[in-house]
Amino acid sequence: MQHEREEDVLRADIAARLAAGLQTQTAPLIENDRQFAELLASLRGLRADDVDGKLKLGGFVDHPFGGEQMRCQECMYYLVHRKWCDLPELALPVEPSWWCRLWRI
Amino acid sequence: MANLLWLQGGACSGNTMSFLNAEEPSACDLVTDFGINVLWHPSLGVELGDNLQKLLRDCVSGAISLDIFVFEGTVVNAPNGTGEWNRFAGRPMKQWVNELAKAAQFVVAIGDCATWGGIPATAPNPSESQGLQFLKRDHGGFLGKSFVSRAGLPVINVPGCPAHPDWITQIVVAVATGRTSDITLDEFQRPRTFFQSFTQTGCTRNMHFAYKVSATEFGQRKGCLFYDLGCRGPMTHSPCNRILWNRVSSKTRAGMPCLGCTEPEFPFFDLAPGTVFKTQTVMGVPKDLPTGVDKKSYIALTGAAKNAAPEWAERDIFVV
Repeated sequence: MQHEREEDVLRADIAARLAAGLQTQTAPLIENDRQFAELLASLRGLRADDVDGKLKLGGFVDHPFGGEQMRCQECMYYLVHRKWCDLPELALPVEPSWWCRLWRI
Repeated sequence: MANLLWLQGGACSGNTMSFLNAEEPSACDLVTDFGINVLWHPSLGVELGDNLQKLLRDCVSGAISLDIFVFEGTVVNAPNGTGEWNRFAGRPMKQWVNELAKAAQFVVAIGDCATWGGIPATAPNPSESQGLQFLKRDHGGFLGKSFVSRAGLPVINVPGCPAHPDWITQIVVAVATGRTSDITLDEFQRPRTFFQSFTQTGCTRNMHFAYKVSATEFGQRKGCLFYDLGCRGPMTHSPCNRILWNRVSSKTRAGMPCLGCTEPEFPFFDLAPGTVFKTQTVMGVPKDLPTGVDKKSYIALTGAAKNAAPEWAERDIFVV
């Protein structure tokens, strides 16, 4: 329970940062696996608790993205009930309506 | 009594190891219960030198009736089509293969290398390797598209890297006991009895596939290996989760992605860096979708499945 509360707090904190206009790198879009691997490598260079760094490099936004309205809800890394991004390089509490550049389906 | 001859071309002996580990039936059962006379095998044959050459010549001439010719490994053509890189019993192996295939009642290719070229035929294919009747997806191979053995069948392909032990012995027994009419072959000449269903059939992670919960690292005991870790189970024809390996497990059950080794393209993407154990995607969508599923349906299915996913699907369910 304590763990869940901590995740809720962090999720709310991230939401506040994004709502306040945190500038993240939504471009360039990841078009292939080489680019995906490069971005993962950059994320691995961050400290595990560098939330801002993950948000910026990942290109997080607090709304669906693009013409296809891509969002965490459909992403392979999203755990629906925990509201959690299970990609080891991110490992962040998220909302289903958010999106980042590491989205994959 | 059926005479069986097993030769090996460009190969690692993996299929021989597999064959010797067979259980239902075992390699010994072939001899004692099913009347198969193993004329020669690389790991079992006792003849050497002149005696072996005579045995092979007698098979070619018909002095010894050759009922089943089993070939493991690629037909090596290098350098420059001569086959000199793979000499056996005094001449290039490819010459023996050509003559023995024509003399045999049945020809059985065991393993990826013999069926479609496998790893040795991966670009740039320095050994100029071919499978017996295919090179990757191209029909033809070393023996040619129109080849049929004396019994009227094309090469029977039993692919895999290696082929499962029991696939090998069960097909050999079916041939030796005159039950070839029971063996129907698919477009790649694989026996349908083994290669009609998918590797995914029987996978213990199927519920994670259904609910689109992904394994994101090796060793995780939850999640499907298809979405991120390059598993080819949903589009590979094999019974690996129906006829278990060592009777207890399979790659996917143990958390190892299926590599698609029973398909002609194996190894996929010519083993280019970043393509192994990583699902290949374009703009976040897998390049290779489960057989029969189009992109639009896949996206719709994913949304619905995620919405319906129960909480337990996100937990480690293999707790001891």
